Amino acid sequence: MIKFLIKGLLRDRSRSLFPVLTVSSGVFLAVVLYSFMNGVIADMINSTARYQTGHVKVMTQAYAEESNQMPNDLALTGINEITQTLKDNYPDMIWTARIKFGGLLDIPDEKGETKDQGPVTGLAVDLFSPSSPEWDLLRIEKSIIRGRIPVERGEILIGDEFAGKLDIAPGDTATLISSTMFGSMAIYNFKIAGTVRFGISAMDRGAILADIADIQEALDMQDTAGELLGYFPDNIYNDEKAAEIAASFNRQFKDPDDRFSPIMRTLPVESGLSDYIAMIDSMGVIIVSIFIAAMSIVLWNSGLMGSLRRYGEIGVRLAVGENKTHIYKTLILESLFIGIFGSVIGTAAGTGVSYLMQIYGIDYGYLMKNSSMMISNVYRAKVSTGSFFIGFIPGIVSTVLGASIAGTGIYRRQTASLFKELEV
Amino acid sequence: MKYIALVILMITPAFLFSQNNPSPAEILKKIDDNTISDSKVVISRMVIHGRRGERTVRAKTWQRNTSDSFTEYLDPPREKGTKMLKLGDQLWTYSPSTDRTIMISGHMLRQSVMGSDLSYEDMMEDPFLSSLYEGEIAGSGELLGRQVWIMDLTAKKDDTAYARRKIWVDKERYLILKEELYAKSGKLLKQVDIHEVKFIEGRWIAVSATYKDVLKEGDGTEMMIESISFDENIPDYIFSKASLRK
Amino acid sequence: MLIIKLALKNILGAGLRTWLNVIALSFSFVAIIYMQGLYNGMSDQMEKIAIEAEYAGGQYWHSSYDPFDPLTLDDAHGKIPDNLHTLIDRGEAIPILIRAASIYPNGRFQNALLKGIPPDQKILSIPSGVLENGGTSIPALIGGRMARSTGLKKGDYLTVRWRDTNGTFDADEFFISNIMKTDDSAIDNGQLWIPLEKMREMMDMKGEATIVVLKSGSRFAENAGGWNHKNLEFLMKDIRALFLTKSIGGSIFYIILLLLAMLALFDTQILSIFRRRKEMGTLMALGMTRGTLIQLFTLEGAIHSVLAAVAAAIYGIPLLTYSARTGFGLPESTDDFGLAIGNRIFPSFTGALVAGSILLVLTVTTIVSYLPARKIAKLEPTDALRGKMT
Repeated sequence: MIKFLIKGLLRDRSRSLFPVLTVSSGVFLAVVLYSFMNGVIADMINSTARYQTGHVKVMTQAYAEESNQMPNDLALTGINEITQTLKDNYPDMIWTARIKFGGLLDIPDEKGETKDQGPVTGLAVDLFSPSSPEWDLLRIEKSIIRGRIPVERGEILIGDEFAGKLDIAPGDTATLISSTMFGSMAIYNFKIAGTVRFGISAMDRGAILADIADIQEALDMQDTAGELLGYFPDNIYNDEKAAEIAASFNRQFKDPDDRFSPIMRTLPVESGLSDYIAMIDSMGVIIVSIFIAAMSIVLWNSGLMGSLRRYGEIGVRLAVGENKTHIYKTLILESLFIGIFGSVIGTAAGTGVSYLMQIYGIDYGYLMKNSSMMISNVYRAKVSTGSFFIGFIPGIVSTVLGASIAGTGIYRRQTASLFKELEV
Repeated sequence: MKYIALVILMITPAFLFSQNNPSPAEILKKIDDNTISDSKVVISRMVIHGRRGERTVRAKTWQRNTSDSFTEYLDPPREKGTKMLKLGDQLWTYSPSTDRTIMISGHMLRQSVMGSDLSYEDMMEDPFLSSLYEGEIAGSGELLGRQVWIMDLTAKKDDTAYARRKIWVDKERYLILKEELYAKSGKLLKQVDIHEVKFIEGRWIAVSATYKDVLKEGDGTEMMIESISFDENIPDYIFSKASLRK
Repeated sequence: MLIIKLALKNILGAGLRTWLNVIALSFSFVAIIYMQGLYNGMSDQMEKIAIEAEYAGGQYWHSSYDPFDPLTLDDAHGKIPDNLHTLIDRGEAIPILIRAASIYPNGRFQNALLKGIPPDQKILSIPSGVLENGGTSIPALIGGRMARSTGLKKGDYLTVRWRDTNGTFDADEFFISNIMKTDDSAIDNGQLWIPLEKMREMMDMKGEATIVVLKSGSRFAENAGGWNHKNLEFLMKDIRALFLTKSIGGSIFYIILLLLAMLALFDTQILSIFRRRKEMGTLMALGMTRGTLIQLFTLEGAIHSVLAAVAAAIYGIPLLTYSARTGFGLPESTDDFGLAIGNRIFPSFTGALVAGSILLVLTVTTIVSYLPARKIAKLEPTDALRGKMT
């Protein structure tokens, strides 16, 4: 029976191809839209997490109080031990230390004397240890504009616009002038490995990305870092779990009387984004449900039409004595195959395209040229577990539903008039 | 360099003439005269109190008149070999690890020197009191067991960094034993306290002092002179950018 | 006229199928208008806030002034050119003086900007009136973000150090006379607003300013002795760029939604052309040309969008009116991105917006309806009459 139906579907293109195309296009659009929405929302939270806050962040209490001033003299010492403890306690989480710093970037002439200088902010991350998560977190490789990624100590990446402003290119030397965590003048030579687009215009205009070991050496911060960031392994923020980790960490390590004891904060606390996250969550639900409603109507409609176009065939089947309920059942069964097949294709294509959009993103940075705002310049989709269901289930349900409503027409057919209808 | 300027203040030699009731201008002139020697070489030590504990920095400074100086840091190991050259109102620093000569200008000048309470700006100041200030004797007193004049100094010109100063001057040795630097509004900004004076090569020299940015929390920066010698024959090449890289 | 009547009759006769399409289309309508309205509202609001708090009718900048480079501030001040001065005297502009300073909240050194503004000014929404009487101390007005990052409260004293025009150090206690809650971080982060005359005195910069802000609606754009006129277009470039990117994101969303609705319509069209061969054949036999037939079927498709507009109006108008009244709540922390958005966005639905959306949907619908109808051109009336399609 099933075999027969499938054969029928395969042989009659108008019965299979067109409905499948409709279902799969609908499912495809649903998946892409959902993934896109997801991506935009996740990107907003994620870019905050990736660049600034982590999912959780450990600092000294004193540093946390003044964190907008980049007070590296208040940085967290004994970072290796703390990291190890955290790794032991929360083996699933990804931990990475960072240093934010400010200063001047000084460009030498051929005699090694100052040719140009510009104020710089910098982010120092683990670039060279084999297990470093930073390459993924900051999408370093993908943001290279000119030159290449740093491959050895002493190499940095610089904001592409900033490089233009200072008139330097990959291969050139740039000297960082800053102060050590003890206040001494810190002077450190770097080689520009490449220029990057951070995706945050403010950073593109005046930031560098360096290896943390270099900066620890430059700023006299051995075994010390400003911040220790923790990320969930799937890179998706989980508020409940983060709050739990932070509470247990703070119970264990935070000493209210010691300003240099560590404190852990979660992403919403650290970023002040908590209300925003809640709002975006609810907005996403609303938008997606409106969309699914619309899509169900479309697919239902298409199921309806699929049955209508086979008016003649059903007439013949009734005429040769097939039971109405049987025909109805086969119609629904057929629509189920079409629904499944279409949804599989649509979901596959949708997640595929979304995945491409996740990797490459839609860059609108060129529209933001002279902006000084901290907003990511790229729209990216995000494929999540939900992407596989958001189109698939409604795709099947609405096709079957469409067919079952449309199919009721069978019961209204009068056997007597069938042959009249069939006259050509 | 104010650090240097301070060193100059501290090494003001004590002239042994005694003159009763000299005029304020004369006092300032004498302080200046005593400050200035053709050249000197000083090894000094600076104790900086940071929020993360204290740190000692040692340096050797060659100085020619009051406008040019060359400093090489000796300690801690991290700063060893870092050099600084001041020629008039220009300032360069050289770091051996990077082999770079960097001009310090613009807003860099406002930064603190080695984390101390002194900024590069402070170091760039003209140390001549008599040409910059009108003095007035506000009273007499005793400080560190010495008889002192307490003098109020008011800037002669508008472009002086500190509009007013208050100094405590040893009546016999013409050595400043305490100094307060005021904003135009009259607000106290910085304070220098001398703790110890010594007689070296026929001059009275303040060998220990605290320099404090009063607006900032903290204990200020302590400065000590380990050794000093005057009128050394310092070759001119020392005061050139080329010597930074040596 | 005949075909319009016929088309209308045909699609109304199709019953449920038509209405399903119409409902799907009407969703797109409402969604497009709502999203656009939201972005318009957001952009309007951001521009309004920026205009009220910062730009008013445009600005004149001292030739050295660059708001992105704090290092330029040392030199960015000067005597106000005569023609601008005349405007100021007439109350049509205000001067603002901007200088760098060091502040010491709780004995900790921080860099800050001092901004001198005439306390009695009415051109910007900054509540400068609180600067009129500060007693013996210099009164200062700060924003909520600045208050948070420095820990300052209303009534606190703050030590501020600066250098005057000659480089002489000066310092004083500032009295925090009020903390303003502002939606615009550009008048808040890292800055202290103080009375202009007091600041000129402090800096020894009598009669000087860094920028001059023109009264709202001012058309004044004369050359002013080396000072550069910056019109609103220039000043609001960032805001408009941001709005553009937001609406790009929105466009992607509703383009997909529209595509979905079009999918249904396309489907319907193909089906009806397939099913109604005989009808077509009959019409052709009765003398209707292929062109008219294409027109008829295209029109049938397009009428869907007209009906959709009507349906959208039925539930959309109350919905959108409600949302335009109550607005769209934003949490306070949104502004930490440095955007000037109020806590509540009121979507703004203009006639142009609605008309534009209808036109867009109508055009797209017509195109989508036309594509399958082209097939009719190949139709042989004899085949069609027999229900065949080649």
